[in-house]
Amino acid sequence: MEMEPETLVTSSGGQDGSHSERPSEPSSSSTVARVKKLLFRQVLVGIKDGRFFMGTFHCMDKQGNIILQDAVEYRSTRRNSPSPMEQRCLGLILIPFSCRTSCHVECPIEEQMSLMTIQE
Amino acid sequence: MDWNSTPAEQAEPPMSRRSSLPLSSTIPASPNTVWVDATPLLQAACTDLLDGELIHGENFNLFAAMSALEIMDPKMDSGMICKYYSVDEAIEDGVGPVPISFDRTTDVQCTLDIMDHLLACEATWHKGHSLAQTVFSCIYLLRPERTVPSPILHSYCKIIRATCKAIVSVVSDARTHEEEDLFTMAYGLPLDGDGDEKSLSLLNAVEENLCRQLRACKAQSSRRKQDMEPLQSDIDMEEGYCKALLCRLRFRKHFFHVLACMRRPQGKGLELARKHIASSISELECIRKSADFLISTASGGCSIGIEDRTTASGRKPIGFDASLNSRVSAPAPPRSIKMLSWNKAIEYFEKLLRDLDFICSYSLDPSLEVLLRFVTQFQSSRPDLVARSHLQLLLVQEGRLYGRDPMFAVITRAAGLPETTKNHDIQRYESVMQLGQLVINMLKIVCTNTAWQRRKLGKSLQDWRVIYVQLELAFTNKFGEVLATSNDENGVARVVKQILIWLEEQAYWIAFRFLMLGFELELYSPSEFFMVYWYLYAVLVKLAEKTDSRMEITEITAAKRKGKKRKDSSKDVGRETRIPPAVRFLQCQIHLVEGLTLLQAALRNEMAALHSLTPFNSEQEVKVSIFSLTINHIFLQHFELLQKACIPEQITYHSFKESTSYARFSNIATPNCFQQAQKLAKELRSSFSNDHDRLAELRRLEQVAEHNSVAMNVICQLGAVEPNSLKVSFEFIHHPCYATAVVRRA
Repeated sequence: MEMEPETLVTSSGGQDGSHSERPSEPSSSSTVARVKKLLFRQVLVGIKDGRFFMGTFHCMDKQGNIILQDAVEYRSTRRNSPSPMEQRCLGLILIPFSCRTSCHVECPIEEQMSLMTIQE
Repeated sequence: MDWNSTPAEQAEPPMSRRSSLPLSSTIPASPNTVWVDATPLLQAACTDLLDGELIHGENFNLFAAMSALEIMDPKMDSGMICKYYSVDEAIEDGVGPVPISFDRTTDVQCTLDIMDHLLACEATWHKGHSLAQTVFSCIYLLRPERTVPSPILHSYCKIIRATCKAIVSVVSDARTHEEEDLFTMAYGLPLDGDGDEKSLSLLNAVEENLCRQLRACKAQSSRRKQDMEPLQSDIDMEEGYCKALLCRLRFRKHFFHVLACMRRPQGKGLELARKHIASSISELECIRKSADFLISTASGGCSIGIEDRTTASGRKPIGFDASLNSRVSAPAPPRSIKMLSWNKAIEYFEKLLRDLDFICSYSLDPSLEVLLRFVTQFQSSRPDLVARSHLQLLLVQEGRLYGRDPMFAVITRAAGLPETTKNHDIQRYESVMQLGQLVINMLKIVCTNTAWQRRKLGKSLQDWRVIYVQLELAFTNKFGEVLATSNDENGVARVVKQILIWLEEQAYWIAFRFLMLGFELELYSPSEFFMVYWYLYAVLVKLAEKTDSRMEITEITAAKRKGKKRKDSSKDVGRETRIPPAVRFLQCQIHLVEGLTLLQAALRNEMAALHSLTPFNSEQEVKVSIFSLTINHIFLQHFELLQKACIPEQITYHSFKESTSYARFSNIATPNCFQQAQKLAKELRSSFSNDHDRLAELRRLEQVAEHNSVAMNVICQLGAVEPNSLKVSFEFIHHPCYATAVVRRA
């Protein structure tokens, strides 16, 4: 994940989704605002080699790299058949966009409908 | 970039792609919540984000985020799935078949390869890697019950696990596996299952069977038919294979016995251990010899270079996969491990056995002085962790020396007090008990690796200083007047006084070792030698003084007990000839370091004088003052720990400068310190005629002295006349710490 502090433009959001007071608000985009609302929620990310990581959504950049906090790794003991999952705590992890295959966010049932209507 | 690709385009479609249901059922969200696919939303947001813009919360810290583990990076992601999801999956895929092959010859060949590779893994582990990624990269070891149908493999695996368990236990108990902290991590590995007796009895049964098979194949062909079933199908190779297997199994048996014997308390098993060590070494030699036979059995040549091979035959062994255990070897980030080659592994075990044998040869001498000399000699061969842990456990057991002598008894003996003193009441005093603990710590420290040892010894100097002051204070306050006179017979005063003298001597010994280890670790650059030798001079002078005091007062005490009257003056001229050899041994070294200091100081001073310009050249003045500031700084850096502990007292950078600034070619050669050292070394030969190590050391000192004496004369004569014609360097040709001056034409 490339980060250049000098040119860093941050969009921070609290749980309530409010924007911080900044003279130059970078994105007035609604999609960015909606993703900001997903911060601190439980997120389940699938990886190319078949593992899953569940953690708190901490950060995302323009390339789609995601940082999860208090992440737990889930792996099956068999590649092809259903089998018990093993899990392991990892802490703060970065999942590069290139190895991510899926990303699910935990939603209350009511909210599910409104989120599903977001399509590009 | 197009993450909306269809499942067919992906190499390994994960479960969620096939159907979204198993995901939520296997990793459920909390009640009243569901997992909703957020990828469209995320993609849209990514498009809208500006370059360099991040979405993050208020608790976000960029610096902290840099420490996040990057998934799928082999250096950070220990759970990365390479091929198999689990050991069981690997087994199901046929990675570690049992039996290895239904063709018995192939089965035997592969078993031998596994045994050899395990030896290489074990040596690699001993050198400082994790058990999970080395020895336990073998599938056969991970599932103990699977190997039962193959008795040879099964017994070998059992003994390996039992051996690893024994070694982990020794190193853990010693608790000084300094930088090799991965060594004892055995979480999740099946180490506990095997009882020692069971492993050994199984091994013995297998060994006996093989012996019969060997005998059978050597017997006349007519008698062969009646006997037992041969090991494998190729009759011509039967003898070779039997022998190869036998020596490997026997090595493991004897090595296991070595470990068991050495663990027996109070060194009771050392003699038996030596026998097993000898057997182990001879079996290793047989293992090595079997290589030629096994290479010839490898059809198709070996894929790896002959030197890098981890098996005798050169074939790659079946049943190993280091990635299976990578999660168990965390929390350290996954390291790529270069396995030791088979040849190097054998060399490693040979060295380990030699080091263990050295330990077993020790007589458990109750004298601390003898013990410290023994440990110093042991350390000179650079033993590895396993050997050092064994030594430490031998020396200190349950707070006693060799599990036998209480610390107070050790101290009183070292201080030269009579045997009965060991029951004296003062051993219950707090400061005396602390002194005992300090000695235990010192014994543990001298068993560690040289770098760690030096640092810890240096740091302990302050503790020794503090204990000295405390002891002195404690007993002066209580019996103030009594300490003033030295006629108190039964008393605390005499005992304390002698202990204090010994304490100082011990502290100076530690300082001496600290400085000398710096040479072994190559911590000093050549331009710094002269200040180290100067400091060594100061420390050695004090050490000799304290050793002499301690020996003298021991004599006085002993004489008094025998009822002999002793002359009042202990400083009469006659004493000169009665200086103990141990002290004269130190004096020899004092002359040496004095000579080295003066020689190097003179060289520097003469060169400086040569190159100095007129006093009005300010640039040169600045250079000189920067230079001396640097020297000052280096001085403080090297000797900080000694200075803090005031060992010796009143030694400063200024006193160093003063005493070395006068040295010139014209004044250092008379008297010739090196000649004095040489003469003393020759004289001392007779005093140590029974002590091989000290004789060897005297020979080395004599050589250094002799060469330096000649060099000094050459330098002083030629240097005064043609200073630029000579190039002088100081090299460790004859002694690891005392340099020899090498003079060349410039």
